[in-house]
Amino acid sequence: MPSGTNLDDLGSTPRGRSRRSFLSLLGLGGAASLAGCGSSGTDASASTEGSPDGDGVDDRPDYVEGTATGTRTLNFLSVDDEPSLNRVQLALDGPYAVTPEQEIFPLWADMSTDEGRVYTVELRDGLEWGAGYGPMTADDWIYTITEVFQADPNWAGFPNAGQWRQNGEPIPVEKTGPRSFEIRLQSVDPAFPLRPVMWGQPCMPKALIERYRPDEDQEGLQQDEDVQTLAYAGNLGPYRFERWNRESEFVAVRNDEYYLREADDVPEAWRDAPYFDSYTYEVVPEESTRLSALRTGELTATDVPETRVEQFEDRDDIDVKVFPQAYMTSLIYNQRANGSFYEALREPSVRRALAHAVDKRAIVDEILRGYGNVAHTFQPTFSKWYADGEVTEYGVGDAYSHERAREFLESGLDATPYRYDGERVVDDDGEQVTLKLVFAQGSQSVRTTAQLVAQEYDAVGLDVELTGKEYATLVEHHLYNGWQGDDDPPWNAGPYNGGPRDGSLSQEPWDLILGVTFNTYPRTPSSIRGFTVERGGTNFYGYVPETDFASLFERATSTVDDAERRETLSEIFGALSAEQPFNFLNMGVEIVGYDSAVRGPEEVFGYTWDRNTWRLGTP
Amino acid sequence: MGLKRYTARRIAWAGVVAGVILTITFVLLDLAPDAQLAQVQFQAAASGGSAEAAAEAYARRRGLEGPLWERYLDYLGNLATGDWGWSDTRSQPVSEAILTALPYSLMYTVPAVVASTVLGVAIGLYSAFNQYTKTDYAATFVAFFGISVPNFWFGIVLLLVFAVHLGWVPVLFDAELARTRPFSLANARQLVLPVFVLGTSAIAGTMRYTRAEALEYVRATFVKTARAKGVSERRILTRHVLRPTLVPLSTILVGDLLGVVLSASYLVEVVFGIPGLGRLSLEAIRRQDTALVLGTTLVPVFVAVIGNLLQDLAYAVLDPRIDYGDR
Repeated sequence: MPSGTNLDDLGSTPRGRSRRSFLSLLGLGGAASLAGCGSSGTDASASTEGSPDGDGVDDRPDYVEGTATGTRTLNFLSVDDEPSLNRVQLALDGPYAVTPEQEIFPLWADMSTDEGRVYTVELRDGLEWGAGYGPMTADDWIYTITEVFQADPNWAGFPNAGQWRQNGEPIPVEKTGPRSFEIRLQSVDPAFPLRPVMWGQPCMPKALIERYRPDEDQEGLQQDEDVQTLAYAGNLGPYRFERWNRESEFVAVRNDEYYLREADDVPEAWRDAPYFDSYTYEVVPEESTRLSALRTGELTATDVPETRVEQFEDRDDIDVKVFPQAYMTSLIYNQRANGSFYEALREPSVRRALAHAVDKRAIVDEILRGYGNVAHTFQPTFSKWYADGEVTEYGVGDAYSHERAREFLESGLDATPYRYDGERVVDDDGEQVTLKLVFAQGSQSVRTTAQLVAQEYDAVGLDVELTGKEYATLVEHHLYNGWQGDDDPPWNAGPYNGGPRDGSLSQEPWDLILGVTFNTYPRTPSSIRGFTVERGGTNFYGYVPETDFASLFERATSTVDDAERRETLSEIFGALSAEQPFNFLNMGVEIVGYDSAVRGPEEVFGYTWDRNTWRLGTP
Repeated sequence: MGLKRYTARRIAWAGVVAGVILTITFVLLDLAPDAQLAQVQFQAAASGGSAEAAAEAYARRRGLEGPLWERYLDYLGNLATGDWGWSDTRSQPVSEAILTALPYSLMYTVPAVVASTVLGVAIGLYSAFNQYTKTDYAATFVAFFGISVPNFWFGIVLLLVFAVHLGWVPVLFDAELARTRPFSLANARQLVLPVFVLGTSAIAGTMRYTRAEALEYVRATFVKTARAKGVSERRILTRHVLRPTLVPLSTILVGDLLGVVLSASYLVEVVFGIPGLGRLSLEAIRRQDTALVLGTTLVPVFVAVIGNLLQDLAYAVLDPRIDYGDR
C-alpha cells in the first residue's frame, strides 16, 4: 500500500538500463553543470531560445506534466495525497531534500545532531513569506509545530500528526535563536532526518495560523485566500502559484525571487533554477490521451504503463526512463482463524513450501514485461541495508520447483489437520482444500498474477478460487479486523490488527490476498516493524513471528553505529526471508516518458529530489 | 388557471423527488467504503501512529464529523439557505464548482445537441420521403454506426488520427483558453472532436426515430389529400409531416438531452480531458465528496424534472388536442 509520501530511497539501475553520471553536489564533490537549453522540436520546448550552455537564459521553455488525477487542496495541512503534495512543493521547498545517497541537501534549513537525539534546525537567512507575513523565523516553526502538528485535539486535521509524537507525547521543540530551534527526541534515532517529519514538511506563517487557532477553525483556514493561492509562499519555492483550474491544470510560474539565487552554499545549477518559465500539471484522466499528448509534444512528461513502453522505444523524441520504487507486491497469507487453511499457513515450513511453488521470475518477465524486480525479503536489493548473504531466495532457480514444493508441503502439513490424498491436499474430512484468493481489481497485471498463482498452487494440489474486489471493499471486508468475543481483547493495535489472531477476524474470510502493496522504507527500514511483529498496526494477516523482531528493531533503532545497525538489519531481513510471513513477489518500478530533450532525471530511487535543476538540452 | 395549477403541482413534486434522491444518495455515500480513509489509516499504522487518530483527523478534514442524521440536517438547512456546501476535494464551494464546470460542458453539448437534432430530424425526414433508396440505406448505415460505435473508443481513435497523425487539432483540452476565449477559433478547433463524437451518437437516435415517426404520416390520407390539392412538397414536409412527427419526438429529445448530459458526457470528458459536469460528478463520486455528489445530483434531477415538464407543455403547443386544463 502506498505510504502517501514520495520521500524515499536510494536506488540502483534497474535491469540492463544505463545509469547516467549523477549530479555532484557542492560540498559533496563539486558542482557538475548540466546540458544547456536548446530546442527539442516539441511544443514543450518550442519557446526555448536560450544560450546553449543554459546561462543567461531569458526565454525559458515550459514544463508540462500529464497526470491522471488533480489536486484536492493547496492547504498542506490537509494534504494526504501525493498529487496535492507535488503541487504545493513547487511553491514551498521544505527544510531540506535528501539525495539518492541519503545525504541531507539544505534548502530552507540545515539540520544537524551530535548524538542522534537532539536535532538542531538552522534556518537560512533571506527566507521571506509572501502576502506581507515578513521573514520566516523560528517562531513560525515553533508555533506551527506546537499549535498545529502537535495540537490536541488535532483541530486542523493534520494528517501527519502521529509523526510528531513519540510514545503518545509531543516531541519537544525549543527555540534557540531567531532562526534556529531544537527538536528533542525521547530516544536516539539516527534515521530521524530521513523520516517524513521535518523532511519535506512545509511551514506556515505564525500570523496566518493565529487567525484560526483560537477558534480551532479548520474550515476557515482551509478557505483562507492566502492558503488557497499559496500567496504566503513568497520566495520560498522555485515557482509561484499562477492558476488552478480544478480537474484541468495547475500552473506555477518561475519565481524570480527564489531564495536560492542568493545562496552561496549550493551548486551553480541550483542558483539559476528553475530552468522552466512555468511548471504545469495537466490533468488528463484517460491514459491513451496522455500518451497521445506525449507523442505530439503537448506534454513534457507523463507515466507510461509497462504494456505501452515498446510503442515509445524507437522514438527519438521520447525517452522512457525506469525508476526503482520501494513498493512491494506480495502474496499475503491469512493466518487468522477465519481462513480455510490457517492452521497450515501459520507454519513457516508450509509458507516456505508454498514459496517454492510460485515462479517469481515469470511474474516479473512475463506479466510485468520485465518492469519490476524479484523480491525476496522486506527490502529492495538496491537498499543499502539489503544483505545478500543473509537472505534466502525462494521461487527462483532451483528454489522454484513444484516437486520440491509438494515434498516440503507434505512434511509441513504433518502438524496440521491437512494432508495429501494422492495428488491433492485435503482437510481432516477428506475434502479438497480450496483457497480463496482475493485480489484488488483495476490492474491487469494483478489479475494475471492471481491466475498464475492459481495455476501454480493447482500444480501442488491446492485449488484456488479467485475473487476480484474494488480496493476499498477489499480493505473493508478483509483487511479490517475486530475482536469477536464479548469480552475486551487482550490488546488492540488498531483497525488492521484488532487483537490476537484467534479472536480478531475480518468481516469476510479469505486465504490469500494480492494487489495490496507495502512500502519497504529502504531509507528508514525500521519503519517496517509494524508489519513484522504480532502487535504491529499493519499486521492484518495475523503473523506471529518465531524470531524476536521487536528486540532486533529496538537494537537497530537505538544505535548510531552504522555497522551495528547494518548487522542487525541484515539479521532481520534474513529472518524474514526464512520465515516468509507472506510471499515476497516483486518490487515495482515507475516508468516515465520524457521529451528526449529533458536533462536531469536519473534512474535512481528518489529521483525527483533535484527536479528544480532539470532543464531542456540538446540531445 | 388549470395549466398554472398543473405546473405548480409538477414543480412541487419535483421538490419531493429531489428530496428523496438526495436522501438516498447521502445514505449510500456514507455506507460506501472509503479507499482514501483506508489508505490514511494504513499509512498511520505503518508509521507507528494511531490509525484511529488518523481517521479522526481525516473526518475533520472532510467534514465527516458527527452522526449521519446531524450532517444530513445540516446539509438540508444550508441547502435551504442557498448554501450548497463546500467541496473538500476541490477546495471550493459546490455552487462555484458546478458553475465553473457547466460552461465547459455546454461548450460541446449545446453544439452537439443542436447539430444532432437539426441534422437528425432533417435526415430522418429525408429518409422517410425516400424510403428504400440508396440514400436512405446510407443514412441508415450512418445511424447504426453512430449508435453502435462506443464513444470512448471512437474518441480515442479520432484523437489518434486527427491530433497525433494529422496534427489538425490538439490532443489536450486547454481549459484556460476555453474559459478566456470561448468563442475563438482555437477553442472551436479543440471542440470539434468532442462535438463530433457526441453528435454522432445523438444524431443516430434522432434520425431513426424521426424516420419511423414520419413514415406514419408520409402515406397518411391527409397528406395524400394535401398533395392532391396541389400543396407543395416543402409545405407537406414542414406542416403535414414534421409537425405531427415532433409530438412523440419531443419526448425523445428530452431523453436524448439527458442521455448526453448524464452518460455520454462522462466518457467524452474523460477521453478529451474536458473539466465539465460529467467529470465533476464522476470525480465527486470516486472521491466520495458528499456535498459535491449531492450538488451534481441536483443538476440532472433539475434537468429531468424541468425537461419533462417543458416537454409536457410542448405537447399542448404542438398538438392542440392536448389540454391540461382539467388536470
